[in-house]
Amino acid sequence: MTTTQILADRRAHIHEKGTAPFNIACEKQSVAGSVSQRACVFCGSRVVLYPIADALHVIHGPIGCAAYTWDIRGAWSSGPQLHRMSFSTDLQEKDVVFGGEKKLYQALVELIEHYRPKAAFIYSTCIVGLIGDDVEAICRRVSAETGVETIPVHSEGFKGSKKDGYTAACNALDQLVGTGDTTGISPLSINILGDFNIAGETWVIKDYYKKMGVDVVATITGDGRVDDIRRCHGAALNVVQCSGSMTQLAMKMKQEYGIPIIRVSYFGIEDMSKALYDVAEYLNDKTVMKNTQNLVRDEVSNLVPQLRKYKHDLQGKRAAVYTGGAFKALSMIRSLRTLGMKTVIAGSQTGNKQDYKRLQELSDEGTVILDDTNPLELAKFLEEKKADLLIGGVKERPIAYKLGLGFCDHNHERKIGLAGFEGMLNFAKEVHGTVTSPVWKLASLRDRLVDRHRLLDGDRSRNGNRFVEGGNAS
Amino acid sequence: MRKIAIYGKGGIGKSTTTQNTVAALAEMGKKIMVVGCDPKADSTRLLLHGLAQKSVLDTLREEGEDVELDDIRREGYGNCLCVESGGPEPGVGCAGRGIITSINMLEQLGAYEESEELDYSFYDVLGDVVCGGFAMPIREGKAQEIYIVCSGEMMAMYAANNICKGIMKFAESGGVRLGGLICNSRNVDNEKEMIEEFAKQLGTQMIHFVPRDNDVQRAEIRKMTVIDWNSSCPQADEYRALAANIDANKLFVVPNPLQVEQLEELLMEFGLLEGVA
Repeated sequence: MTTTQILADRRAHIHEKGTAPFNIACEKQSVAGSVSQRACVFCGSRVVLYPIADALHVIHGPIGCAAYTWDIRGAWSSGPQLHRMSFSTDLQEKDVVFGGEKKLYQALVELIEHYRPKAAFIYSTCIVGLIGDDVEAICRRVSAETGVETIPVHSEGFKGSKKDGYTAACNALDQLVGTGDTTGISPLSINILGDFNIAGETWVIKDYYKKMGVDVVATITGDGRVDDIRRCHGAALNVVQCSGSMTQLAMKMKQEYGIPIIRVSYFGIEDMSKALYDVAEYLNDKTVMKNTQNLVRDEVSNLVPQLRKYKHDLQGKRAAVYTGGAFKALSMIRSLRTLGMKTVIAGSQTGNKQDYKRLQELSDEGTVILDDTNPLELAKFLEEKKADLLIGGVKERPIAYKLGLGFCDHNHERKIGLAGFEGMLNFAKEVHGTVTSPVWKLASLRDRLVDRHRLLDGDRSRNGNRFVEGGNAS
Repeated sequence: MRKIAIYGKGGIGKSTTTQNTVAALAEMGKKIMVVGCDPKADSTRLLLHGLAQKSVLDTLREEGEDVELDDIRREGYGNCLCVESGGPEPGVGCAGRGIITSINMLEQLGAYEESEELDYSFYDVLGDVVCGGFAMPIREGKAQEIYIVCSGEMMAMYAANNICKGIMKFAESGGVRLGGLICNSRNVDNEKEMIEEFAKQLGTQMIHFVPRDNDVQRAEIRKMTVIDWNSSCPQADEYRALAANIDANKLFVVPNPLQVEQLEELLMEFGLLEGVA
């Protein structure tokens, strides 16, 4: 029996399949005091634009904003590494009083001269919004003087949540789209939107498309390049994965350039195969379709036998999934089923109603669906549903470890590619490794349920935690 | 030491009234510090015979953290000490934060220490209290008394009433009290009676009625207070009276701001008295 109470204002954001008609609350500001797992607006725009490797990324704000988002994604570049730097105007008290415009101008001129980037993104943080620096005017001036397009990202942290940061990022990208030459782009061409080349995933996907005979004009933003984005309006189709972050850009391109959109996921055998088939079907080319069939057949027949041994050990284990958007959680449930596992909790930070509806349709009876959850709720349901595994990001990791259960990082800090067919094999290995790890025998969840509250609280748990006891003289 | 903040509508004559009052208090032998809390940094011009002073924030910006009291504080008429907080030029940065920064700096540097042997410190604050920063001088532990400069003009009374609302908020969380209204006359009909009644309804007093006199402007053009320029003129005595009233004041209240309807009624009653008659 758990004693954790759900906050009254949070109840509508939680649904247990089969207990009531489905009507989950979502797309709302986080409940104050609930300690949401969401990030701020600035962080949202930063993670989306970060992988554009030949652009300068300058954070106009106090140093903390830059420090805590420095190299935030495991997004690899095949060329320039400029994106991995975290430049900041390091605003201090006197800059707040007298305004940070001059400092920003100075910083931009110096940085652009030194690095000669293809473009520059200037992120506004909370304090800049409060003191009212005219970042737009500075960007115009610097663009005119240096010839390097300098784009303001209106990502003042207090404006909303991470999702509003996606809007700011899409607006910034929209300034580049349509400014390049599209001659020579094949009619069998696409843009990859919403894949961020974590651990080289974009390359894996791009390689599949290449084998199908499909050209990729721009990857937005994984291993992204400014000049590719400028001409991406020449592609025949926008293939959107992370829909939360990229749908707005895709919609704008649909309105302005008539480029259709399809939504895909590259995680798991079913969704990966479907993505490739959907693209092939849309492009309506016999050779592409034939190539796709061959590719999928080869990959699947190579992969499935390798998954068998993992499935054997994982059969019947219970998983919890907490992702950025709810669409990704659908792929997770399917992938886990491929491994013989059951999903008992599925949630997301920023999912919309439509995706949650599909999520609950796909889920088994009793599965808990969570919108914008927090550590206490997550811990409560992990315990109630007797989960063996939590799949999430860096902020969810400690919750799993403190409760003594397996964890698989499926967010943007990870170093192992989980997309594509080869990614599914990596996923199986990751999940298998953590769920069957002998370490949980020493600290198993079920033995320690009574100690849960103390375990959740790092300092106070020390004495009650027999894992630390004896080994720690202090 | 008594800590006093002067508020009021922009252009009502806060800086002029403050400096002339300070000159009169100095003449009485009081030791005074004046802290200008306006980004324009023109609150001590008459005491210093010109804009002769580098502001706290400019000094901080140019010299870094190693600021000493002597860098930012200058002696003016009657040995009073003058400080200008300063701030950004219009339209950039955050002037409110500037005031917080400079008052903190003054405290750190010991400007209010007992060893300074001050009888009074005056904060002359920008008319429009547009954000929390401009209320810094009346937060806990800062100014204890407020005087509002106003006239019988509607907008000045409206602003005074609004400032009273602000004082109420800070009176609850700290110890600040309203000491009275200073009527800086604009020669409005029945002005004295109206402000007296307005003060009464607010629960306070009109501490002095300063008549309009061009000697104030004559002195100002010469970058001087009236007492400094011509200590025997009648207007000099008005400021002496105001200073004496403040020095002897014992009536400190939490004001009771008026509803807009009440304020308008007051204006109708007094402002149109002659017209009706």
